[in-house]
Amino acid sequence: MKDTVTSPAVPRAINWNRLQDEKDLEVWNRLTVNFWLPEKVPLSNDVQSWATLTDAEKQLTIRVFTGLTLLDTIQNSVGAPAMMPDAQTPHEESVLTNIAFMEAVHARSYSSIFSTLCSTREVDEAFRWSDENPHLQAKARAVLETYAAGADPLKRKIASVFLESFLFYSGFYLPMYWSSRAKLTNTADLIRLIIRDEAVHGYYIGYKFQRALERESEERKAELKDYAFSLLFELYDIEARYTEELYDGIGLTEEVKAFLHYNANKALQNLGFEALFPPEAAEVNPAIMAALSPDSENHDFFSGSGSSYVIGKAVATEDEDWDF
Amino acid sequence: MLDRLNETLDYHALNAMLNLYDADGNIRFEADRMAARQYFLQHVNQNTVFFHSLTEKLGYLVEEGYYEAEVLEQYQPAFLQKIWDAAFAKKFRFPTFLGAFKYYTSYTLKTRDGKRFLERYEDRVVMVALALARGDEGLAMSFMEEILSGRFQPATPTFLNAGKKSRGELISCFLLRIEDNMESIGRAINSSLQLSKRGGGVALMLTNIREAGAPIKGIENQSSGVIPVMKLLEDSFSYANQLGARQGAGAVYLNAHHPDILKFLDTKRENADEKIRIKTLSLGVVIPDVTFELAKRNEPMYLFSPHDVQKVYGVPFSEISVTEKYEEMVEDKRIRKTKINARAFFQTLAEIQFESGYPYIMFEDTVNEMNPVDGRITMSNLCSEILQVAEASEFNDDLSYSKLGTDISCNLGSMNIAKTMDGPDFGTSIETAIRALTAVSEMSAIDSVPSIRRGNDESRAIGLGQMNLHGYLAREHVHYGSDEGVEFTSVYFAAVAYHALRASCAMAREKGMTFKGFEKSKYADGSFFEKYVTRDWLPESETVTKLFDGITLPTRSDWEALKADVMEHGLYNRNLQAVPPTGSISYINNSTSSIHPIVSKIEIRKEGKIGRVYYPAAFMNNENLEYYRDAYEIGPEKLIDTYAAATEHVDQGLSLTLFFPAEATTRDINRAQIYAWKKGIKTIYYVRLRQTALEGTEVQGCVSCTL
Repeated sequence: MKDTVTSPAVPRAINWNRLQDEKDLEVWNRLTVNFWLPEKVPLSNDVQSWATLTDAEKQLTIRVFTGLTLLDTIQNSVGAPAMMPDAQTPHEESVLTNIAFMEAVHARSYSSIFSTLCSTREVDEAFRWSDENPHLQAKARAVLETYAAGADPLKRKIASVFLESFLFYSGFYLPMYWSSRAKLTNTADLIRLIIRDEAVHGYYIGYKFQRALERESEERKAELKDYAFSLLFELYDIEARYTEELYDGIGLTEEVKAFLHYNANKALQNLGFEALFPPEAAEVNPAIMAALSPDSENHDFFSGSGSSYVIGKAVATEDEDWDF
Repeated sequence: MLDRLNETLDYHALNAMLNLYDADGNIRFEADRMAARQYFLQHVNQNTVFFHSLTEKLGYLVEEGYYEAEVLEQYQPAFLQKIWDAAFAKKFRFPTFLGAFKYYTSYTLKTRDGKRFLERYEDRVVMVALALARGDEGLAMSFMEEILSGRFQPATPTFLNAGKKSRGELISCFLLRIEDNMESIGRAINSSLQLSKRGGGVALMLTNIREAGAPIKGIENQSSGVIPVMKLLEDSFSYANQLGARQGAGAVYLNAHHPDILKFLDTKRENADEKIRIKTLSLGVVIPDVTFELAKRNEPMYLFSPHDVQKVYGVPFSEISVTEKYEEMVEDKRIRKTKINARAFFQTLAEIQFESGYPYIMFEDTVNEMNPVDGRITMSNLCSEILQVAEASEFNDDLSYSKLGTDISCNLGSMNIAKTMDGPDFGTSIETAIRALTAVSEMSAIDSVPSIRRGNDESRAIGLGQMNLHGYLAREHVHYGSDEGVEFTSVYFAAVAYHALRASCAMAREKGMTFKGFEKSKYADGSFFEKYVTRDWLPESETVTKLFDGITLPTRSDWEALKADVMEHGLYNRNLQAVPPTGSISYINNSTSSIHPIVSKIEIRKEGKIGRVYYPAAFMNNENLEYYRDAYEIGPEKLIDTYAAATEHVDQGLSLTLFFPAEATTRDINRAQIYAWKKGIKTIYYVRLRQTALEGTEVQGCVSCTL
């Protein structure tokens, strides 16, 4: 604590017509166009499908979603705000506030799924499980440590990209798996909307990391790369155990791990690093792989809302348009 | 990665490989064929109940209450053996995984626990043929031939239900009027429940309901308007479904000049409040010509209170042509009105379409000008292809009818254009389809909704559709939307119209009766035929002439003769054609949907029952990909040109979806709507958007991946 009271720094008014980095506007536009709320998805159409799951499958699904809720909560309340002071441009700050808000929407969405499909008791039990699960807590802690105040800004970005592009996917696997089996398809739509967002988040933060890295010394570059890989090893280790605990019961562990490898490579790619896992180890089941593509799917409108609609750009018509 | 085709992969994984290029950048069609094969080996064959003989099978299925005994009792056992043998001799195979998967998931007869299959595809086809032919052996044989060869495909309710003992109705689609009183609203909700339970999509017209804030019994600010009615309907449809087989689905139509129009549209906003948000109910807007004229002049558009209009004119708002009475109503002090900016209205419409794909649009004046039948068309249906006249009902306090009006039903079926062009006898194929659809109308009597029953009894309206246009054109190396493509469409649809009318006229002669109101139609006075006897509808270019090689097309003198026949004997069906969007049935039939361009080379299909499955466009291979440009590449103009050519010859409507990249603006959508209206399009169905992936975030090696 200093004795003198410093007057708070007044930020400069943000001018979106003077860009230091075009990417800020491009991503801002994409994120705002993609804005959505969970109410858009008719989750209640999954109620019948939910009833066809066994108790073990239901429990697994709820647990997976509570795990995802925790990650979104971290990113919303700690991750994105922690990166804001590191922002290089005022526009980057704005993009980060959007990211933070959408993470809150994601966390909110899981609760929408719960309230539509499950009983309060089941949900409470699952949240208790997530509070107590050592692997889940370990990964949360690993990420939170790098987010802490005073931590290295670039390391924060590394952790953030891992969270957005890697850690979520052990959880995303399950709804994609169900949807490829014609179960919980509306829930899968909602998750696909989240994936659509996270893909952009991971890409953007990774992009900012790469720009920042260019300005660093060779020595420091090497240090950050070492750090990235060792953090990934640590997270992968936890993630593998977390996956085993969740998916051993229904025999999907190997497939999920291949999916983890694929996404770990993708996260490293976002940071501008080479892949860690060889292609053979990252061979994802085509049904899941193809399910990832967020849209262009042709759904029947009566049982789902799809994930392709966006907020359009309104442009008034001119006289020449009405020439008839 | 994933370069080798792995036989041990499950069929879902094999099917998904369609959407991932191989190492050389080719689409892996063989993976999908293998998926279909594995699906049979791993799943269908193992789960099909085996019978030693046809007699054993039919005996069991009737005894156990799976098949309707009455259907089979109309035929001699020897004939049954003959038709079944003939069907199986055709060695039908599903060419795609989705076709097989969709059929076995959603159509085939299963044991009551849903675990084992009791029918193969041939069994279903034969049962549909037997049920519709009602004891006529020759007709049963030709129905079977046409369906199994893929030339004619009945719509889902008919194909799913015919011949089964516990089943829903054979009819697809219902349209109900709602009038401005509580009895009519209550009855409409009940009717919606009844019809949904029996398996149809229901559309309702809200135009006549007084707006929010209108007086009730002279007391101001009493009415709640159309939104609460929509909420009630939405919940009704969610509740009722056909034995869980098909989700209840509904649409509501409102005139653009109804005072609640903006509230109506806002129910589909992304940030709409939960109390007014409409999730699963489909919306449609009825737009008269005057709205376009006002927008052209950039003037405000007035919205009129339906309650006052009814008081002034003595008929419901929907029965007034807004275009005709617009100035008069604007000047009339007794009609309360509000105004909005016409261009802003169109822009709002496009904004909502961006966010939700809704509303559908019906161009009211075009529809009524082109309607050959006496009466006024005020709404369309859930897929915006049904356009028929209806008559209001009146009710007593206990909801019984004091005056029974007519409401609309329509049973549908579609021709596969490629197969029909390949077939042995174009005219006979169309006639057989018309007879099959007419049979469905004759066999249906929806007693739970008497106005529907009366409408069907008096009109015997049917809707023959078409599909696989893009697949056919591509196979013949003609680009969709090219001059030749549009020319083909025009000639083809003119020929279909001719044979459909010919068949309906033949039935009128055989049965000695016409649809009710024939004498007041444009068929009766011959004016309908004007455009067919004053010019040719024959191919002009060499390419298109060649396509019709071996097919006898109707000439002007054929049309002259038909005109005389129709004027003398009448028509049995009030409505004959309607081109539906064809989802499920085009997968089973290995077609591209309707007369739309494909949505992508490999279509990603998602539905509640089947999950996410991948479907290759019909006749596509790695050599002819250039003819498979998708709807987003083709753009709205070529699509509208193609539809305009077909619309000319279709007495009802055609489901026309518009496709835009997500970078488009509301102005682009508005321009396409204006163009469609100008070209004489009757209705617009969904607006679909596709977002391209942000560079760096795409899924690698994917055929139809966009983000």
